[in-house]
Amino acid sequence: MERNRIRNFCIIAHIDHGKSTLADRFLEITQTVPEQKMADQYLDRMELERERGITIKAQAVRMLYSAVEGNEYRLNLIDTPGHVDFSYEVSRSLEACEGAVLLVDAAQGVEAQTVGNAYLALEEGLFIIPVVNKIDLPSADPQGTVMEVADLLGVEPGDVLEVSAKTGEGVEELLRTVVEKTPPPEGDPEKTLRALVFDSDYDMYRGVVAFIRVMEGKVNKGMKALFMATGAASEVEEVGFFAPDMTSCEILESGDVGYIITGMKDVSMVKVGDTVTNAKDAAQMPLPGYHDPKPMVFAGVYPVDSDDFTNLRDALDRLKLNEAALTFAPETSRALGFGFRCGFLGLLHMEIVQERLEREYGLELVITAPNVVYEVETSQEGTVYVRNPSEMPEAGVIKEVREPYVQATILLPPNYMGGIMELVKERRGIYQDMTYLSGRRVEIRCRLPLAEIVMDFYDQLKSRSRGYASLDYEHIGFVPGNLVKLDILINKEPVDTFSCVVEKRRAHAYGKIMTQKLRQLIPRQLFDVPVQAAVGGRIVARETIKAKRKDVLAKCYGGDVTRKKKLLQRQKEGKKRMKMVGRVEIPQEAFIAALKVTREEIGK
Amino acid sequence: MRIYMHWPFCRSRCAYCDFNTRVAGEDRMKRYCSSLKEEMRAWSSWLPQEDRKVTSLYIGGGTPSIVSGEEMGALYREAGRRFHMMPGAEITVEINPATWSRHDFRAAASSGINRFSIGVQSLDHDLLRLLGRSHNAEEALRSVQYAQDAGDVVISVDLLYALPGESKGALLTTLDRVLELRPHHISLYALTLDEKTPLALMHERGVITLPDEDNAADQYFNALEKLGSEGYLQYEISNFSLSGYRCQHNLAYWRREQYLGLGAGAHSFLGGCRFHNVRSVLDYTKRMQRGLSPIEEWEDLTAEDGLFEEIMLGLRVCDGVPESLICKRGNGLDELEKRGLLRRTEDRVLLTSRGMLLSNLVLMELLPV
Repeated sequence: MERNRIRNFCIIAHIDHGKSTLADRFLEITQTVPEQKMADQYLDRMELERERGITIKAQAVRMLYSAVEGNEYRLNLIDTPGHVDFSYEVSRSLEACEGAVLLVDAAQGVEAQTVGNAYLALEEGLFIIPVVNKIDLPSADPQGTVMEVADLLGVEPGDVLEVSAKTGEGVEELLRTVVEKTPPPEGDPEKTLRALVFDSDYDMYRGVVAFIRVMEGKVNKGMKALFMATGAASEVEEVGFFAPDMTSCEILESGDVGYIITGMKDVSMVKVGDTVTNAKDAAQMPLPGYHDPKPMVFAGVYPVDSDDFTNLRDALDRLKLNEAALTFAPETSRALGFGFRCGFLGLLHMEIVQERLEREYGLELVITAPNVVYEVETSQEGTVYVRNPSEMPEAGVIKEVREPYVQATILLPPNYMGGIMELVKERRGIYQDMTYLSGRRVEIRCRLPLAEIVMDFYDQLKSRSRGYASLDYEHIGFVPGNLVKLDILINKEPVDTFSCVVEKRRAHAYGKIMTQKLRQLIPRQLFDVPVQAAVGGRIVARETIKAKRKDVLAKCYGGDVTRKKKLLQRQKEGKKRMKMVGRVEIPQEAFIAALKVTREEIGK
Repeated sequence: MRIYMHWPFCRSRCAYCDFNTRVAGEDRMKRYCSSLKEEMRAWSSWLPQEDRKVTSLYIGGGTPSIVSGEEMGALYREAGRRFHMMPGAEITVEINPATWSRHDFRAAASSGINRFSIGVQSLDHDLLRLLGRSHNAEEALRSVQYAQDAGDVVISVDLLYALPGESKGALLTTLDRVLELRPHHISLYALTLDEKTPLALMHERGVITLPDEDNAADQYFNALEKLGSEGYLQYEISNFSLSGYRCQHNLAYWRREQYLGLGAGAHSFLGGCRFHNVRSVLDYTKRMQRGLSPIEEWEDLTAEDGLFEEIMLGLRVCDGVPESLICKRGNGLDELEKRGLLRRTEDRVLLTSRGMLLSNLVLMELLPV
């Protein structure tokens, strides 16, 4: 097909603003999916996505659309994730498009992440088609939302389309607009191949599937493909596109979106953002913008059953294939045994990885409280990066501890301003400025330590604005802070799993919560057990677990000795499963419960 | 030989009970009674002469006292025909308050029954009701008096502590009133919630709260002191008696002497083997009527099992176990002694008072598993 009949576009929308429903209407109108096969929200393939109603992995589907004038167009809809954790994936999928549909819920109005992604799209030079969705809702305010969107993009209100993805109203017109307004792809099909990997998947039998947008040149079966960033080269076994199931074809040319299968089994060789070229006639320069996404949030991931360690490693290897940003390295914890220190883009990313590991790989996991990465200036080793609080250098050699900050944008109705400003202050935020987007929406800009977001800033933001406030942020680097490492000692022995880095003035409060919680969770032992929180060598909080006083079986009724024996044997087996910290026996459940409270209670 | 005879019937079921008992009518009890007699006859024909010499017999339940004193006496006399009751043999019947009249106690005593174990449990009206006991405090005390009036018999009183909502002083208050009657023997048991009992369900749903561990421990230690000062000697974790009135039958369990259990679900320990009868009363009577063995399951004990039991049971008794038994079990002993849970005499190892209440933890250290 001629290149000027191709349109590559995406939909930018906040969670629940109706992106998947709109995609479903597109698939119907273009008859890409036979009606009987049309499951709602076809593009969200993974079970998890369907359940949560969010798109995690970018997808790309080819649709054929006959326009009014009789010409047939090839529309490639590239689905993008909506959450801030996945902004790198968003930027890669934007890179694969020339146009973007900016979808805003007529009842909810513009949200912070929508603004963030809209500006990202503008920066990438995409043509933006503003659309207000859900105009059929009784609570909708199409007029107000149209004005807001027009203000945001600096366009005329008349340029903003109004649709209902649910009823289909206005969707045909939207498709016509996509065809009219989205520029056709550029790029010379005769040049050397350069294709962008914007996503990947793993097929049990066929290996890695790379989702690509061909920028220049063409790719066909039999060609030897080279992944420029990783240096991996392999013969192309299959070329194809999504309709929306994988459909093989002869060739993909510049402007096309599709996939290639090279039989490669090593998932780490195919990275999102990498450039594919022809190994025999390699391009001089890769496409711009590739970088390894940097995980900012870290947590220990351990199997509940230590026999599952190898399974966990295999599962992480597999997951890494289409979770480009996931990192992991083995670590050990005396409380939890062998596991991995995993790096995530953010909390949602962490939760998704955990759920996928548990659901798709049947693993039962313990996840430690998440922490951010710290940049520590030491007098002996220069600058070190601390991904696990227990690895924090001795206080004596630390010159400075820096923590990651984000530039945050919060959008909210004006009546919640007071509460949210307070929250920002409590969480060490640095207020910058404030803009009224419209009479019903204010934008606050501030800087925040990422650690606060990792803690519970978002939950608090939602609860203090009754769910109306939204948040977007981007990393802006490391800022020095008055931070200390807090250790938890059980019977005078530090327990690595509970170590954390906290602001100095909050160390006492944090220590108190943790020690109290542990006192409740750890069963009483044969002797008094002190539970202490310490900064450096100094104890900042202390609780005592009193020695156990009663653990005795009741009477041996009518000579039933066997039952008594069984009860004791069961108790002894339970004891064998206990984790030992020095001479203190702690059930793993207590560790898990204690890890759970950290995030929930410390913010308060 | 020691004989345990199970009477698996009650007038109503207590809220905390998971023992083998049920509420049943006259007919079923009569059929059960004949089955018991049949089982006695069978055993007496199998056992060698020496093993038919009985030094203690214990009729427990359930509630044996829902039948009259005469009927209980008749059951005992039947046992006397099948086995040889040794002079001075201890013959106990468990009694629920408000079941037997003065006359019943006399009738039972005149048949040769010489020990009554009375389930007083508590003297708090509300708690008795909550526990599902079918008597009040006055009836319980009256039962003790009736039993005392029956002649030269030994009286034992069972009490529960750590009951729902109980204060630290509750057990002492109860003891004060019970001790006025000077029973020969007292058993103290902390309430345990067995799964699926009504009380356990109430606890799960938060309808009742149980006193915490410290409350229970305080109650126990206060009771130890009180009983000691009143002349009651502790001889086992939960058992106390005036000098010379220890329960021979229960001591036999803890000393791993052999015993024969008769009736539905009854447990026996004979010839180094543990076995028990079918639990269901219906199955039991059916089997007896057809001349089949009522035994459901055997457990052959290895030497290791035997050692396990000897330590588990022996440590419950105040004079403990020979040190030679425990020495085989490594060095945990010193640690337990240091923590004040164990004491060593010349050649025996015994639990301290603190150790008694923590006996599971001690056993955990010492038991081969």
